[in-house]
Amino acid sequence: MPSKMTDTRTRPLQFRGSLALAVQQFPRNRAATVGFVILFAICFAAAFAPWVAPYDPIQIKLSMKLKPPSFEHLMGTDHFGRDVFSRMLWGGRTSLSVGLLVVGFAFMLGVPLGLASGYFGGKVDNALMRLVDAFLTFPPLLLAVALVGLLGPDIKNVMLALGLVQAPILARMVRGSTLAVREDVYVTAARALGASPLRIVLSHLLRNMVSPIVVQLTVVFAAAVVSEASLSFLGFGTQPPAPSWGRDMSEARRFLADAPWMFLAPTSIIAVCVLSINFMGDGLRDALDPRAWRTRRSVGADA
Amino acid sequence: MWSYLGRRLIQVPLVLLVVSLMTFAITRATPGDPVTIMLGMQTSPEAAKAMREEFNLDRTLPEQYGLWIGKVLTGDLGRSMRLNDPVTTLIAERLPISLQLAFAGMLFALVVSIPLGVIAALRRNSWIDYFCTGYTVMGFALPNFGLALILIYVFSIKLDWLPITGIGSSEAEQGGLWKHYSPFIIPAVALGSLQTAMLTRLLRSSMIDVLSQDYMRTARAKGLLPSTIVIVHALKNAMIPFVTMAAVQFGYMIGVQVTIEYIFAVPGMGSAVLNAVVNRDFPVIQGFTLVIAVFFLLMNILADMMYALLDPRIRY
Repeated sequence: MPSKMTDTRTRPLQFRGSLALAVQQFPRNRAATVGFVILFAICFAAAFAPWVAPYDPIQIKLSMKLKPPSFEHLMGTDHFGRDVFSRMLWGGRTSLSVGLLVVGFAFMLGVPLGLASGYFGGKVDNALMRLVDAFLTFPPLLLAVALVGLLGPDIKNVMLALGLVQAPILARMVRGSTLAVREDVYVTAARALGASPLRIVLSHLLRNMVSPIVVQLTVVFAAAVVSEASLSFLGFGTQPPAPSWGRDMSEARRFLADAPWMFLAPTSIIAVCVLSINFMGDGLRDALDPRAWRTRRSVGADA
Repeated sequence: MWSYLGRRLIQVPLVLLVVSLMTFAITRATPGDPVTIMLGMQTSPEAAKAMREEFNLDRTLPEQYGLWIGKVLTGDLGRSMRLNDPVTTLIAERLPISLQLAFAGMLFALVVSIPLGVIAALRRNSWIDYFCTGYTVMGFALPNFGLALILIYVFSIKLDWLPITGIGSSEAEQGGLWKHYSPFIIPAVALGSLQTAMLTRLLRSSMIDVLSQDYMRTARAKGLLPSTIVIVHALKNAMIPFVTMAAVQFGYMIGVQVTIEYIFAVPGMGSAVLNAVVNRDFPVIQGFTLVIAVFFLLMNILADMMYALLDPRIRY
């Protein structure tokens, strides 16, 4: 009898098992799978832009300017005769890597702050949350504009600013989840068994917040892609002639009537990216939450 | 409830204090000297020194903050370094325009989301429900400046129905009703698209929730008119989260207008902050962010209060 008990308890089945199940669940959500495939394709094409892109994104060729989409130029050419498709691929490198880095930055800053605030409570919580409140009273885009504008228009500053804007939102969410999980019986049990606070936080609290954190990170990713485009659109991000989704949309404003493909290409790419990320987030939320597994049939209707 | 309102209002100055410290710290900790930007590189040292003294920039940082916050408490937000106007005058010029635009955007969001959310909930899995889902998904995915460009291309360039610019211009102010309000249409639709998606989705799900309640069956059993059931019994209850969300989003819209103001050359709060940031116009940055924060905080408190007013079960 006692040996059996220790057997079930020491088997590392709990977490890995649920992760494997989640991986199994995910493809059942068709929208999420399509989103994942599209996003992966865009990321892949952007990452290998030097090999995939048919033209040089910066090389000016005025004889080819403002040409509509054709077989040679899938998305047409811009006012300098540059291939819009190639520029989109190269621009994607910046936008998507900024998105991923912002996710990493927000995670590394927001999650520890939220955990500390929720777990320790009291003065730490109060001080941290007032700071978070102050951050959240600014509209995120305006705060990012102010930060980047003052630090100087540079892609590193864009990343820093967006990370600083997103981290408090994540911190508040993690704090909320921590408060919800902190009083659970298994946490009390772990504490009674003499587990250190670090162990409780890492292996008990964090593990039970994987689902909300992962879902929130997809939201951060989508927000970062849009915000990077907004900042570049306003002239605070990527500087010309470097290709950028947001910056190219800003340039396209002057040629709205003559070359609508110039603004339609980046607009649709951003929309497709955000759409894919959102679908993927929905799928992850369902896949990571065992309670949602049985009610899978209503996924389409409740989107 | 009143004591809760009191407690919430007491917290406002505290948050504003942190906000003011934050904006002060951000402006002072970042590179770029406002005096060099205003006067140019070739300016005489005397002129630069005079300007530094005029705006207290020659003092230590704690002194600068103390002097500024002391004046703020008396209602004086200082003077713009570039335009030389009092910051309060600039806010008085620009806040009404931003409010009008935000109001127009919210109006669009309400006019679309209420009928769409209600019908989608009543006719689940019908074509209108699928349209509703598709519309909200697109509303979340399309950035507002992208949508703005699409709308300009279709309604202004191709169809030539609507003007692009004119908000806040004297020509539009003196013109008739159409001249005055038509420039708001495209920016308002673009600005309100995200809120439309959010509110439609919220209303649809809360309507579905309410419609499945027991008292709906009772109302039907009593033989009440379907319209009475939907409007009086269902919509009234489903509106509670909707109204509070709308209030929070309205507070938020003042700040997300930057891109829209940029495209349509609207002289609002966002573009003022944009210019002030580029020119390192410290008093304007500090004053405007403070006002935006106040507005946002008050809208949030209003939303919480409305929650309590609309739902008698909620007592703070």
